[in-house]
Amino acid sequence: MDPRKNKICKKPEEKDCRQTKPCGRREFLKGAAKAAALGGAAMLTGCGGGMLGSKEELSLRWKEYFKKHYRLMTQEEKEGTVRRLESLAKIQNGVNIQMSSTAPIDGVLFGYAFNVTRCEGYMECVAACVKENNLDRKSNMQYIRIFEMEHGQLTPEVGNAKFYHQVPVEDHFYMGVQCNQCQNAPCVKACPTKATWQEPDGIVVVDYDWCIGCRYCIAACPYYGRRFNWNDPVVPEEEMTKKQHYLGNRMRGRGQMEKCTFCVQRSRAGRLPACVEACPTGARVFGNLLDPDSEIRFVLKNKKVFRWKEDLGTDPKFWYFVD
Amino acid sequence: MKTPTLNHWLYGIWVALLIMIPADEAYTAEGGVVDTYKNATAPFDENTVDAALSLPIPSVLVTERYQGGRFWVETRKDKMQRFKCRQCHNNKPVKVTRAAEIAHGQIALKHGSESRPLSCYTCHKKDERDFLVTEQGTKIDMDHSYQMCGQCHFRQKKDWVGGAHGKRISYWAGQRVVKNCTGCHDPHSPRFKKRWPVIYSPPLSKSQ
Ligand code: HEC
Ligand code: HEC
Ligand code: HEC
Ligand code: HEC
Repeated sequence: MDPRKNKICKKPEEKDCRQTKPCGRREFLKGAAKAAALGGAAMLTGCGGGMLGSKEELSLRWKEYFKKHYRLMTQEEKEGTVRRLESLAKIQNGVNIQMSSTAPIDGVLFGYAFNVTRCEGYMECVAACVKENNLDRKSNMQYIRIFEMEHGQLTPEVGNAKFYHQVPVEDHFYMGVQCNQCQNAPCVKACPTKATWQEPDGIVVVDYDWCIGCRYCIAACPYYGRRFNWNDPVVPEEEMTKKQHYLGNRMRGRGQMEKCTFCVQRSRAGRLPACVEACPTGARVFGNLLDPDSEIRFVLKNKKVFRWKEDLGTDPKFWYFVD
Repeated sequence: MKTPTLNHWLYGIWVALLIMIPADEAYTAEGGVVDTYKNATAPFDENTVDAALSLPIPSVLVTERYQGGRFWVETRKDKMQRFKCRQCHNNKPVKVTRAAEIAHGQIALKHGSESRPLSCYTCHKKDERDFLVTEQGTKIDMDHSYQMCGQCHFRQKKDWVGGAHGKRISYWAGQRVVKNCTGCHDPHSPRFKKRWPVIYSPPLSKSQ
């Protein structure tokens, strides 16, 4: 399926409709600039007049463009933007999504533990993550890497993340790597536009609309946790996860950064992240670090745990453990 | 940025918007997250989670408690093809030869040490086939098979109760429901099977 067909214009009979040129935020912005230079009336012909299907759409896009940074919005404004994004998804792509801006839960700090002796390398987590988070099928984007490692190897950097054979292989173990949701996150510090930050529940998120795509955060991240969209993400409509969160699995655009958010759309609703739920071996433990009775606290207390590259001072909320 | 073709005035807007964002202090954690969680000793109030948390699947109350109190385990009887065993195991004599092979031929026991493999009646109650049995002869409901496994696999059972072995189902908050031992392990051949991964990872380029 060609995503752009959907993204740009639904109605093929519209003459103006530019089939090939995606109209992301950046193009809109360029169009808007031109239009402004020519006077307000020329607005409609900005970024491909055709893609601005209706007055309603134009108005929605206009408001979207000039919205604030997520962290500065009131709850009301957050509601406003998610409703607009729902309408735009309907108008532009004909998809009915339900977007939320659910706030962090008081008294919750999310933590994650990965049992390297349990994981068998089946990669169910990766598949579930791709599906849940609407990851780009065209570039095969994946947030999680599973490294196949020989006994004795200690860092995934020497492991093999490209295996495709029957698993598990004798004398090997498997180590999942994804965003560590550092408490002292280098990516957050690297971001020149503050488009990425840590939420009070510990999840490092991105306001996609604020990201300028400079990719400093990728360079800063020691855990290969961040992903860049070189193209507009392609997700067949029938496979799209419609329950979305503004800071999570809503559709991103070309030139924007994205990353694992512990499935913020699920975890803030009390549910387990998709990778945890999908794991057939129970290698993934997720929960509230501030709850002394949680499973994650049990693991931290009773198991031999370690954090990857702890010496960097990134203070990850992602632990590895062995039985 | 790949296309530095923004008009100057737009650039101006950018800068203006940037200035509007307050200085950030949230990411300077003092003491670190380990201290933070170690200092957190009050149990979490689940009612603060808005979402309707319901038992996601058919489950029964576990006869033991974990650090957080009561918890539930997924049922098994409804998932077993041959339950109730009583339909056939009703003390009527079976006249067919090789009946066991015909009835349960697909079961190949690969459990226990080579020298001392387990027998069917280590786990199944001979005179009441719907139940499992412990070495002391206590009968155990099929939904509570963890009790039976736990008598030999004490360490795994303890981890399972605490949350380091096995897994919780669907929710991290609300009523805790976990998978049963037999939801993951085939009791007759408990080792995980070799199989193909469900997806392949393309090489990760430096720029991703
Ligand atoms: C369709 C009928 C049928 C059902 C249902 C059935 N069995 Fe059987 N089973 C048999 C027959 C026939 C035999 C062989 C004769 C015998 O031992 O009674 C047998 C034998 C066995 C044996 C002894 C095997 C051996 O190698 O000595 C065990 C143990 C057993 N069954 C367990 C169960 C359990 C547990 C269930 C329920 C989950 C069950 N069976 C359900 C028909 C059945
Ligand atoms: C280690 C203990 C153990 C041993 C040994 C064992 N079983 Fe079982 N068996 C179980 C448990 C536990 C279940 C319930 C499985 C579940 O929860 O799905 C079961 C289930 C069954 C079932 C029903 C399976 C289904 O899906 O309907 C049959 C039939 C059965 N056993 C027969 C046998 C026979 C025959 C033997 C001997 C050759 C045997 N078992 C040996 C523990 C054991
Ligand atoms: C009567 C004792 C006994 C019972 C009951 C029992 N097991 Fe075992 N199990 C063993 C022994 C003995 C071994 C072999 C241990 C070894 O090789 O070190 C074993 C091995 C295992 C293994 C490791 C298999 C491997 O090849 O690595 C698993 C998993 C396992 N059991 C699960 C279970 C489950 C699940 C149950 C309950 C349905 C159960 N066991 C009930 C005695 C038992
Ligand atoms: C979420 C799935 C899951 C559940 C539930 C589960 N296990 Fe396991 N268990 C595993 C995996 C994965 C392994 C890794 C061993 C393997 O390669 O087969 C394992 C290994 C084992 C072993 C082998 C020794 C070891 O520690 O590696 C035993 C014994 C065992 N489990 C017993 C149990 C018992 C008893 C229960 C229930 C109280 C249970 N398991 C519940 C997934 C599970």
